[in-house]
Amino acid sequence: MSTQFTQYLQSTLTPGQAGNMLWATIYILVIFAGISLCVVFINWGERKALAHFQIRLGPMRVGPHGLLQPIADALKLLLKEDTIPANADKVVFWIAPFIVTTAAFVVYLVVPFGPQHAVTDMNIGILFMLGVSSLGVLGIITAGWASNSHYPLLGSLRSSAQMVSYEVAMGLAVISAILMTSFTPGVASGTLSMIGIVEAQKTQGVWFLFKFFPLGLIAFGVFAIAMIAETNRAPFDLPEAESELVAGFHTEYSGFRWSLFMLGEYAAMIAVSGIAVTLWLGGWMRPFPNLLAGSVWDTIFSLVPGAFFLFLGAVTLYGTARMPKHPALRIQTLGLGVFGMAIAAVGLVLLVPAVRVRVQDIFWFMIKVAAFIYMYIWYRATFPRYRFDQLMRVGWKVLLPISLGVLIVTGVVGLSPELLTWLKGVL
Amino acid sequence: MTTATSNLDLHEDKTFLDSTELILNMGPQHPSTHGVLRVILKLDGEKVLGAECVIGYLHRGVEKIAENRTYTQFGPYVDRMDYVASVSNGLGYCETVEKLINVEAPPRAQHIRVILTELNRITSHQVWLGTHALDLGAMTPVFYCFRDREEILKIFEKYCGARLTTHAFRVGGCQWETYEGFEKEVLRLCDFFEPKIDEYEQLLTTNRIWIERTKGVGVISGPQCIAMGVTGPVLRGSGVKWDLRKAKPYSGYEKFDFEIATGENGDTYDRYIVRIREMRQSVRIIRQAVESLPAGPIMAKVPKVLKPLPGEVYHSIEAPKGELGYFIVSDGSLQPYRIRVRPPSFVNLQALDQMVRGRLIADVVAIIGTIDIVLGEVDR
Amino acid sequence: MRVATLLRKIFLLDLLKGLSLTFRYQDPKEIYTEQYPLQRPQVAERYRGLPRLNVNPETGKTLCIACDLCAKACPENLIVVESERDPVTKRKVLTKYTFDISRCMFCGLCEESCSTDALELTQDYEIAQYGREGLVLDRERLERGPEGKVYER
Repeated sequence: MSTQFTQYLQSTLTPGQAGNMLWATIYILVIFAGISLCVVFINWGERKALAHFQIRLGPMRVGPHGLLQPIADALKLLLKEDTIPANADKVVFWIAPFIVTTAAFVVYLVVPFGPQHAVTDMNIGILFMLGVSSLGVLGIITAGWASNSHYPLLGSLRSSAQMVSYEVAMGLAVISAILMTSFTPGVASGTLSMIGIVEAQKTQGVWFLFKFFPLGLIAFGVFAIAMIAETNRAPFDLPEAESELVAGFHTEYSGFRWSLFMLGEYAAMIAVSGIAVTLWLGGWMRPFPNLLAGSVWDTIFSLVPGAFFLFLGAVTLYGTARMPKHPALRIQTLGLGVFGMAIAAVGLVLLVPAVRVRVQDIFWFMIKVAAFIYMYIWYRATFPRYRFDQLMRVGWKVLLPISLGVLIVTGVVGLSPELLTWLKGVL
Repeated sequence: MTTATSNLDLHEDKTFLDSTELILNMGPQHPSTHGVLRVILKLDGEKVLGAECVIGYLHRGVEKIAENRTYTQFGPYVDRMDYVASVSNGLGYCETVEKLINVEAPPRAQHIRVILTELNRITSHQVWLGTHALDLGAMTPVFYCFRDREEILKIFEKYCGARLTTHAFRVGGCQWETYEGFEKEVLRLCDFFEPKIDEYEQLLTTNRIWIERTKGVGVISGPQCIAMGVTGPVLRGSGVKWDLRKAKPYSGYEKFDFEIATGENGDTYDRYIVRIREMRQSVRIIRQAVESLPAGPIMAKVPKVLKPLPGEVYHSIEAPKGELGYFIVSDGSLQPYRIRVRPPSFVNLQALDQMVRGRLIADVVAIIGTIDIVLGEVDR
Repeated sequence: MRVATLLRKIFLLDLLKGLSLTFRYQDPKEIYTEQYPLQRPQVAERYRGLPRLNVNPETGKTLCIACDLCAKACPENLIVVESERDPVTKRKVLTKYTFDISRCMFCGLCEESCSTDALELTQDYEIAQYGREGLVLDRERLERGPEGKVYER
């Protein structure tokens, strides 16, 4: 076992490829804990960011600047009474949240946080991702069914219809990105593996967002809109809107079961953002790997994670200095100061060369995913919501034709050198 | 459940297959019904076939209370009917009693009344805009509207001592003289507020999601409105140019120059545009009123103990929600014999049934919001 | 003109307009929340809050002449004024004064009708109590006036 441990540290493959079970398990546990921690932070971040968009402050009392609010929420949900509707199907009722959460988390098996920082690199990685994330729909339908009440059932059917219709557009947008991987000069064919897609972007020297401009951008735009509808977020959140009659498939769920649904939703949000980042935004690559190449630039960019955390720590400590000097807030000020110093310590650790070389890929990936999550919250604050029939119309009549068109044009443009030589041969 | 007297049986092509009709109850407690309103919907799948409103959950017997209070003592109760636009309520009541005792408020009092009433129109429309946008899913305009409304409420507080239940006017004029710096503050508010209306429009007017949710939803034609007695922005949104401030001017409105905003199609989007334009016109009126504020007394010669001659009078004003009317019957004693209030929201709510037919459930919430009802007024 | 609208629709300009507005409002200077109870709102001078019976600052005697006008003006009849006639000066002297703020609307009619400067509605709005007993104010409480609230947490 200890040989398995040390032997892997020398390799440059993912644990799955290296056949190393121990490290694969370690990676899975780290990802599970990490994503759960991320969901907690996103919960806090969403409440604060949404509040700032709405010119208010958000949670401020539960911990300094509301930092302990997610923990208070989690405690409340755990201690809540676990109600099950009278004639509900108990087994199915119990299983439904687990299906949704499991489907959301299994996707992370192939999400590449770095060239060797994925649990495994399947050669059908993207297909696996699309397939498994669709399994979440089953969880939603079973949740609505098991509630034994026709409003959750209607809500779950609407929700699942929405998710399924936007998956078609999503899939076509993904195909056009994969098509771009096959245009690497000197490579026989494209690849479906997630790490391979990022490597293709590195070899071709351009993020697929900017490839064959504006085709990559349009495909990315279609995927960006479809992924919001996929995760039932504003402006496509009619099935779970509060001001509608049907409160959605999770009406009858309370306490811990509801928190599993919420966990699954946020994990799915991070997962589809991860797919978007991998396919179009260059995955784990730092900005300008080919343009600003060389060991000097590499060192500069590898200092960025540490600098970022140090900056966050400085901001927190500045916030500590600005807290009001009221006796009731003494503990909060102390707590915030300790938190700030902890972040700064993380930043210092990230400056150590041995650590920063391994960690910088994860950092760039997470920064890009964080930008997507910010966009999710921004859209929620700004836009009204679509009515259900208008939502379906956008999915089928607008996004599907656009993504089909982009796919065809990408193929034609990408093969244009070969097409032209063939035409010259014929004429 | 509905009785035989309900009008939900007007479904022409009824066959035995129509057993799929569902009666849905949007109960009194609901995040979107602006108060305690119960709406019973008759649905065919998701399509709405008819709606019936059950009201009375906020009935407080205001008109009965009026029979046991003197005319001056009833003033504070009037604010609490349409609690969002309480200054307008006070204006209507005071003008009606003045008509009863044949007294006219002096010009300065009339100008002050116009300024405060138009400010109140802006606050009422801001509450409407915020809650309507919130019902349709846009969560931020409500905060922007309430923040801008704060500035106006501060002016109310400085003038009469309360923000919401203002009790600003008395029979015969105004109780308080304007405070030090009133004109400057009001003008500064007008300058502060006009760009804010542009901001609300930037968020919503051209937004494609907003347009899709509101265009063609809840259409009601002008003749239908007139047949049901619907007034206010709902009537003007259907294209009928009727505004009591222009048709039957009161309290000095004939001196001011402003336009009446009308819509074309009578749908939710047009009513939204009408109310936004009304806010702009209100700012225009306020500017004119402040600049032409005359000097003089603020209270007419009214006896301390009001004992009007026996008779009855009806007077109505253009409240933010429509025509607010008061019908007072006096029997010669200190207390009125009967006060009947004609609330605009109560009469406008009748139009709900016509507007929701053929729409989806998700539109019902939008349509209730666009009629702009306040249950305090509907139920009194 | 049709081309311009078409281009605006394709490039999602209307959505971007709304996004830019909400983005701009994230500026911390725009935040409108007041952190009560650390920051208490300052109310206007004419604010109709907790009532108070004013006392002559030199002699310490109450300014109220027990004319009962406030009780007559109140729509809710919640003021009770009891007085007795002083045999020497033949004037009414106030003995008991009760004000029930559990039913009060804070309309200000009593303040307006007071013939001296005795009854006044102050700017105190923190008048909540845990039970009904503290809501019926007697003369002594009214003469003490607003007491201010200190929050520890």
